[in-house]
Amino acid sequence: MLKILRDLLRYNREFLAGSILLGVILAMVALSFVSPYPENAIYAVPPDMEPSFEHWFGTTSRGEDVFWAMTGALRNTLAFGVLVAVISRLIALVVGLVSGYLGGKADQAIMAFNDTIGALPHIPILLLVYFVLRSQMTWEVLAVVAALLGWSYDSRLIRSVALSLRHREFTRHAVFSGMRTPQILIREHLPYVVPIIFFTAMNNLIWAIGLEVTLSILGFCDINRPSVGGMIYWANAHSAMVSGIWWWIAFPMIFVVILFLGLFMLAMSINEYIDPRSRLARMGA
Amino acid sequence: MQQVAATVAPGQDTPQDTLTIDRLKAYYINEHYGIKREIRAVDDISLVVRKNEIYGLAGESSSGKTSLIKTLAGAIRPPMRVVGGSVTFDFGGERIDVYRQPEKMRAARWRNLSYIMQGSMNVLNPVRRVKHSFRDFALRHMDGANFQQRLEAHLQRLQLAPTVLEAFPHQLSGGMRQRLTIALATICEPEFIIADEPTTALDVLVQQDVLALIKEVQQRLGSSVVFVTHDMSVHAAITDRLGIMYAGRLVEEGPTAEIFAHPQHPYTAHLINSLPRIGDLRIRKSLSGKPPALVDPPGGCRFHPRCPLAIERCKTEPPPMLPSKANGRVACHRAGEAEVA
Repeated sequence: MLKILRDLLRYNREFLAGSILLGVILAMVALSFVSPYPENAIYAVPPDMEPSFEHWFGTTSRGEDVFWAMTGALRNTLAFGVLVAVISRLIALVVGLVSGYLGGKADQAIMAFNDTIGALPHIPILLLVYFVLRSQMTWEVLAVVAALLGWSYDSRLIRSVALSLRHREFTRHAVFSGMRTPQILIREHLPYVVPIIFFTAMNNLIWAIGLEVTLSILGFCDINRPSVGGMIYWANAHSAMVSGIWWWIAFPMIFVVILFLGLFMLAMSINEYIDPRSRLARMGA
Repeated sequence: MQQVAATVAPGQDTPQDTLTIDRLKAYYINEHYGIKREIRAVDDISLVVRKNEIYGLAGESSSGKTSLIKTLAGAIRPPMRVVGGSVTFDFGGERIDVYRQPEKMRAARWRNLSYIMQGSMNVLNPVRRVKHSFRDFALRHMDGANFQQRLEAHLQRLQLAPTVLEAFPHQLSGGMRQRLTIALATICEPEFIIADEPTTALDVLVQQDVLALIKEVQQRLGSSVVFVTHDMSVHAAITDRLGIMYAGRLVEEGPTAEIFAHPQHPYTAHLINSLPRIGDLRIRKSLSGKPPALVDPPGGCRFHPRCPLAIERCKTEPPPMLPSKANGRVACHRAGEAEVA
């Protein structure tokens, strides 16, 4: 594993770039734990200060230091994305493996449900949930709702692999040797789809973070929990662009771009590493 | 059943039968848009496999060999269904009816009954190490103590280094993989082994190795083997008794040597005639036509459209399975009239 990582860093430029970008984000997240200001503390510093040596990214009209606010916001946003990715991976895995393995009528029924979920528009549904729950809408609830909407594409992908695994000799062998279905799925088929899980997890992370940023910017989220989108929401609420406090909007945007680029490059390079065809294409074969 | 009993010559010490198949019928039943199709892959087959013998099953492609052994192993799934008859194993006095006692059957899997599958080079999961395949497939059926030592000793007997356990299947050669699957099928020392074309994908040298290996393991364990292949020379080399299948039915059965010397059924005679012999330069004649579609098999004897000896009676009256002059059974109205060139 370590050797693979070393080789990827050495020979795959996307992987290197992605790792560095994600490293910046993770460093910020780590710094959030040593922040000199308590979370949500407003008017802790003089408001509307330009970036300077004292306040690297300037301060907001609410008297927050943008740099330290950024660290907390990134931590929360990333936590949201990871939670969504983990829950939706679990659902996609179970649905995909079971549906592909069972095949036939069960597969058709499960996939009909799967495609229905996939066809639902996400943002209107999340808005609906927000308006129903209102004050009970915590970030965990939002993450669970997003996860319940975000698994269907990947479960289809996993199902397509499981469909072919089902007819392989080793599956027949496992059935014949008396292994039960859950054991076959976990021990024989799961290792096959792990690379797909890795790759789709990155994409899902990007999707989930994009969703959270969108909803927070619009204010359809717990606005008192610092997040990247939440910062932009408050900046807009204080007309930061009009009053020339550009750093309040620019830094959250820059970090969202860094996060997205980093994840995207990692996803790309991992996909390339997993898929032998594109690996060969790189070698010029 | 009387017919089955007739295969055991009188006065001979009757060995224990490990497997008894009685009038087994298993069809692929498809139903689409109200149209029902039955493919009679296993049609009314009765046979016994005795303890400590290698029973060969021969026949051309689509004659129902694989369907028969899948059915007797209880390894069928829809659309295939058992329509009639029974399959009974006898493992050291304990009788298990495959289709009426599924729980007992599950317990007997691998412990008493193992399977070397067709294309068995692929039974090892390509993304897991060989040792994990052994753990998954075999460990549950054995007591866990000294599993590693027993496994290594077992591999050594099959001339495999213990290091292969750490390898992934793609790192091994075809012959090694084949030997591993035989190791996998025999590690629990089962009483009954089903071998479905275990040598088909191998070149003749490796084939010889593998055959010797199967024979040796069988003799050491004293188990029964059902050995399926369309390659008659392999049958001549390894099997004790031979059953010939045609279009889902058993057409002839008997001791291998006697069948090769005096085939009773014209189809058997053709199979044996197709074998090249050293010094014989005549061109082999292939049988015209092809095996019938099992959706709508011909009436009477299923072989009659291709049979050079067919008479009117063959077209209407299915021949019964009767004792043959080759010390076995044959289903033919003109048994014994075909000649071996």
